[in-house]
Amino acid sequence: MICLRNKPVAIRLSVMAPLAAILTAWGGMMPPLELKATPDPMMGAVQAEICEQGLADKDAWPEVSPRATESFQIPAFGLDTLPQKYVDDGVRGTRPSPSLLRLKATVTLPAGNHRFLIRSRSAARLSMDGKVIAETPFPPKNGGDGSQAGSEILTPLDLGKGYRFAPAGEYEKIEDVAIEAGAHAFTFEVFVGGREGNKPRRVELGETVVALSSEGQAGWELLSPSGKGASYSDAGWEAYRSQVESTLAQRNASTRAALREKQAEIWKKRRDVAAQWLASTPETKVPALPEGLTATSPIDHFLAAKLLEIKAQNSHSAPNAVDFFRDVRPLLESRCLDCHRGNKAKGGLQLDTLANALRGGDSGPAIVPGQTETSEVIHRITTNDADEIMPPKGKPLTTEESAILTHWIQEGASWPELPLVREEVTPPVEDLAFLRRVTLDTIGLIPTVDEARSFLADASSDKRARLIDRLLGDDRWADHWISLWLDVLAENPNILNPTLNNTGPFRWWLQEALLDDLPMDRMVTQLLLQRGGDREGGPAGFGQASQNDSPFAAKGTVISAAFLGVDMKCARCHDSPSGSAKQEQLFQLGALLASKPLEVPKTSSVDPVKLHAGGRKPLIEVTLMPGTTVQPEWPFQEFADPSVVASLTAHPGDHRERLAALITAPQNERFAQVIANRIWQRLMGRGIVDPVDNWEKGTPSHPELLRWLGRELVRNGYQVKPLARLILTSQAYQRSVDPTLRQTDPLHTAPEPRRLSAEQVVDSLFAATGKPFRVEPVCLDLNGRRDTGNSLDLGRPHRSWMLASLSNERDRPSLMLPRLQAVADVLSALGWRGSRQDPLSVRDLAPNALQPAILANGSMSGWLTRLSDDNGLTELALKAPTVDDLIDSLYLRLLTRQPSEAEKERTSGYLREGFDTRKVEHPPKPEVPHVAPAFVTWTNHLLPQSNTAKEKLAEAARKGDPPTTKLEPDWRQRCEDVIWALINSPEMLYRP
Amino acid sequence: MKPSLARRHFLKMALAAGALPGAPRSLRAAALPPARLGKAEHCIFIWLGGGMAQVDTFDPKTMGNTKAKPFLAGSYYQAIDTSVPGIKVTEHLARTARLMEHVTVVRTVNHRVVDEHAFATNLVHTGRMISGNVVYPSIGSIVAQQRGAANPEVPAYMLIGLPNVSRGPGFLGAQHGFVYLVDTNSGPAGFTRPEDVGPDRAARRLSLLEPLQNRFPADSIPSDYRAAQTEALRLAGPDFMRHFQLGTEPGSLRQRYGGEFGQRCLLARRLVQSGVRFIEVSHNLNFINGTGWDTHNAGQLQQHVLIKELDTALSALIEDLEKQRLLDKTLVVVATEFGRPAAFDSGGGRGHQGTAFSLVLAGGGLKHSGAYGVTDELSKTALENPVSIPDFHATIHAAMGIDPHTELLDGSRPVPITDGGVPIASLLA
Repeated sequence: MICLRNKPVAIRLSVMAPLAAILTAWGGMMPPLELKATPDPMMGAVQAEICEQGLADKDAWPEVSPRATESFQIPAFGLDTLPQKYVDDGVRGTRPSPSLLRLKATVTLPAGNHRFLIRSRSAARLSMDGKVIAETPFPPKNGGDGSQAGSEILTPLDLGKGYRFAPAGEYEKIEDVAIEAGAHAFTFEVFVGGREGNKPRRVELGETVVALSSEGQAGWELLSPSGKGASYSDAGWEAYRSQVESTLAQRNASTRAALREKQAEIWKKRRDVAAQWLASTPETKVPALPEGLTATSPIDHFLAAKLLEIKAQNSHSAPNAVDFFRDVRPLLESRCLDCHRGNKAKGGLQLDTLANALRGGDSGPAIVPGQTETSEVIHRITTNDADEIMPPKGKPLTTEESAILTHWIQEGASWPELPLVREEVTPPVEDLAFLRRVTLDTIGLIPTVDEARSFLADASSDKRARLIDRLLGDDRWADHWISLWLDVLAENPNILNPTLNNTGPFRWWLQEALLDDLPMDRMVTQLLLQRGGDREGGPAGFGQASQNDSPFAAKGTVISAAFLGVDMKCARCHDSPSGSAKQEQLFQLGALLASKPLEVPKTSSVDPVKLHAGGRKPLIEVTLMPGTTVQPEWPFQEFADPSVVASLTAHPGDHRERLAALITAPQNERFAQVIANRIWQRLMGRGIVDPVDNWEKGTPSHPELLRWLGRELVRNGYQVKPLARLILTSQAYQRSVDPTLRQTDPLHTAPEPRRLSAEQVVDSLFAATGKPFRVEPVCLDLNGRRDTGNSLDLGRPHRSWMLASLSNERDRPSLMLPRLQAVADVLSALGWRGSRQDPLSVRDLAPNALQPAILANGSMSGWLTRLSDDNGLTELALKAPTVDDLIDSLYLRLLTRQPSEAEKERTSGYLREGFDTRKVEHPPKPEVPHVAPAFVTWTNHLLPQSNTAKEKLAEAARKGDPPTTKLEPDWRQRCEDVIWALINSPEMLYRP
Repeated sequence: MKPSLARRHFLKMALAAGALPGAPRSLRAAALPPARLGKAEHCIFIWLGGGMAQVDTFDPKTMGNTKAKPFLAGSYYQAIDTSVPGIKVTEHLARTARLMEHVTVVRTVNHRVVDEHAFATNLVHTGRMISGNVVYPSIGSIVAQQRGAANPEVPAYMLIGLPNVSRGPGFLGAQHGFVYLVDTNSGPAGFTRPEDVGPDRAARRLSLLEPLQNRFPADSIPSDYRAAQTEALRLAGPDFMRHFQLGTEPGSLRQRYGGEFGQRCLLARRLVQSGVRFIEVSHNLNFINGTGWDTHNAGQLQQHVLIKELDTALSALIEDLEKQRLLDKTLVVVATEFGRPAAFDSGGGRGHQGTAFSLVLAGGGLKHSGAYGVTDELSKTALENPVSIPDFHATIHAAMGIDPHTELLDGSRPVPITDGGVPIASLLA
């Protein structure tokens, strides 16, 4: 008996000899075999078939071999991911669980006593010429939630050095089979998914493999009809699987495209409607360029015109006078505007513009320039009448604060539309800084050294435009821009027992929509229709909100803010006290999303007794009683008239189709403008309307530009990239930073130093050092034994956005994911959220001590700084011809700039000593221990040894990889110190 | 200053301000009696993840029997007398039993969230049900935000345990989050230098960093970051890190605290002394009994080992705090996500129960009485003085001198510090 993974399984040997003896006998005694391709119609490929039908909901092989519902080809008997299932308009769908995977090929083998290895997550059987030669069993039932199953064996089979250990939770089986020379038909059938109780398991493959160790050969290779079976070693498998992965990605993309093609007609019709609408509505004229100025994008015309206008407005105020934007505006913002803004301003008074303040409210003009006695504002902030004092809640204004307002009114209440932060624009940003900026803004990474050098060397005048085009065509655009939508749409999957307002992992749908450049109207339509697999990454997952008392009301607040700039958060429980959103409107919207009437739960209201307890008229109103049933109805007539629906969708009777059409209709100018404003905000630092998710609170700084951008988006078929190109090519985008600015100048005379996002920092650091992004899979159910509702596998991340909440509310060491935690610690400190329970449009980027701390001393920084063998900087340090050259490369790689003379001098002083002797002559080869990785998953996490194993992994993650032996330790450490300083330089965190 | 026209108003303002010295005029303030506030300066919040069985610990009932068929519901251990007459705990809490005059077991805590640990853990930490609109802050973050650190040189909120969103700052923002360490050997993440970076090397690194920090003008955004960086690097230095050197404590005291969990409690006491305001200590060690406090099925069999470990550490902490004259100003809380029923499951263990369970308060200058609230004969429901999770939170706030009527701000939106919780008045008398 040999103990195989999961339970003791006897290896049946055709020749009954001790295993050790067989291994010795195979020690290279015979010449290597040649596996010849067969003259089969499938010519050198393995036919892979997925069977979705014909399987019972139980763990048993069907009597009749099921018919294939889908087939494709792969090079060998090895597969760890199924092609995605797509439904509807090309969104991810759900396969039945269980499904069956069948791999078939004819392979010509020489005569001999060959050894076969099969691996699978669930039951599998390999047959040759119709006879079963190897089998793995069905997994046992967990019972309950599976945490008590607890008897999984931790150590996989070990056949010595070079033998690839089975990955976590795989069954494996080895059989020796005596074979005659010639062609043999092999069929490998594998169960995928299955049932846990009456619930489905995830339809995911483990490492599904048939490997062969032919007589006379020591190693393993994947069984392959082509005769070129990949080596089944760790490296061989990695290479093979990434090749298959990219083939499958292409296949997935064409499947999506084909499904979308089926809907081409309606979308062509919609483009026609948009074109008609554009033609029938007045264009926004691009202003003429003021004399003496140049432009590289129409955007520059709009900005230049506005700058002139504001200059004129600001030219009147006297020196030493109260400055509206410095002194008055912050006061109004913090103390007045919450109530005195928008359609529902209290007392009919809006204090958001001079005109509104002069007009005043129910009590007369709020401000009379030059006359404090008759200015109602001054009376209200200074009275001691509790019924009249403003603000009605919180501390009254201080004497200093009232003095500011008083003086300001005395001086004539100068209220320019926008502050004039700078008189003149800054010069264009220099090449390297531009390269770094635009690369970060498009693909979320800093440029490579090669990119930097070739951009510098390029003397052509259109090199920036060409760079922008290249970056817009880069697939990694999706990796950067997805973060925006994950935040805004509150994507919030929990990998374990979702109960914290969790959604499905619709990140995968978002990623594909971005990869495919899906037009925004179509992407939003897909989201709102909520089709596909909720647990598989389809937009259906958006509709989930675990343990929320009214999920669709919650989703209503998400989409109104995301796509219409309407903040309805307050309306979740009561009418908005400051905005115009009514609770009924939110529930109407929610009912459209739900496709059915919604009842208002008691827990989504405010108890009237509590409400009126204070005496003074309560600030909030409840006009919708709990228990009321609200019908699906479009609550935003002001944005789009319901009559537009008929021409935009084939199913105007469907509530969700109707909602999608009304939000994304070209006639709904608000939608295109909100999207354009969000893109603008991401690239320019501040929305033309700010805040981007609550337009009632903001006045557009450039209303004509906003309207023009919205129309450009419509004109370009709602494609985001042409809009981004307009912005990126503008002079406004390409100005150099004014380091003294503390916030974005709404006139865009210069960008401020802008903190990079958490993802940009982390991804750039990994990319720049070349250290592999090596973390655990985002999964606590590695062997897929739990049901789909209670566990997710979010895969092995290679970019920061792919992380999620690590879901260890149980506080158990055995459920730690230490390497992911180390990365998540950095991301969280910098403003990323693993748990996105609510939507967020703009992150808090204020500095705090945790950020530099985790970058200085956290585990992740340790990995990046340490010159280990797999750190890209190690090779750089080994190959650099001179100290100066090394320093140049390090600066270019990490900071995308040349070091100054002083920096060069200082750094080379630190590294010069010992540079010539830094290489170790005959470095000891690092020992790669052949130790099975610990297998800790949900079903064994309560075992004490699972805790111990995870604690060891945590310790290893903290320590990081050992340093290379190729560099002298003393010099290596000094080089690491230089790298540490560059990584920790504030410059690393700010957009140039 | 040109005050001529506004003078009348300034005088009025002064009066108005005098009438309401700093008190926020809350929406509901008039309806609620002013809360009595305690004087505790620090809080040590011990977390027993999994759901501590109150009938086997702090709310003993008549003995059950898993040998009988069917199983007989009841406590798994004998009850013993404590230093407070009439108040009993189970036999494995013998050391804490002698200190019950410093303790109040709140036996009637209740909520309805019992299906999932994460959900209940979130509720007990934030005092709120989840919402799709707001991420509520944990009690540690609220106390940290309201009171700041007692010593500005140290963090306000520290966690000895694993990070998760329930322990996080929610809408209060990252600056009110925790600094964490997973165990007493590893040191706080971000402030513990890698092993191969000693003081000399750290100093060399700093001298390389300095010119890179100076590339931005003063009073710029990056210079704010630089200031945070200076602070972070100072915290990684010996002044702060010495608090983690448990080796400087007498060996006998370390022994008295017991194993790793005890050492965490000892570290918590040291952090109190350093000025940290709120310390959450997690009891998440290797599951001696297979399940930790989540004692389903066979997890019941070795539960007494866990209880004894808690007893050793908790009693040592109370005694030590008292000896150091810190007990009156340090509120010790023992919390868990829910309780467990007196009835046994089919495997002889216990399921989850939220209708009544025990959370423990000690020290903190409260008027202790051993226990508060009375449950029925099987501790299934509250008979007297039920305490909701918001009430329990309000009690902690009040004990810490934080007005339980305070409103926090989520952006510009006021959010009451608890969901209508009322402090337990008798504790604050």
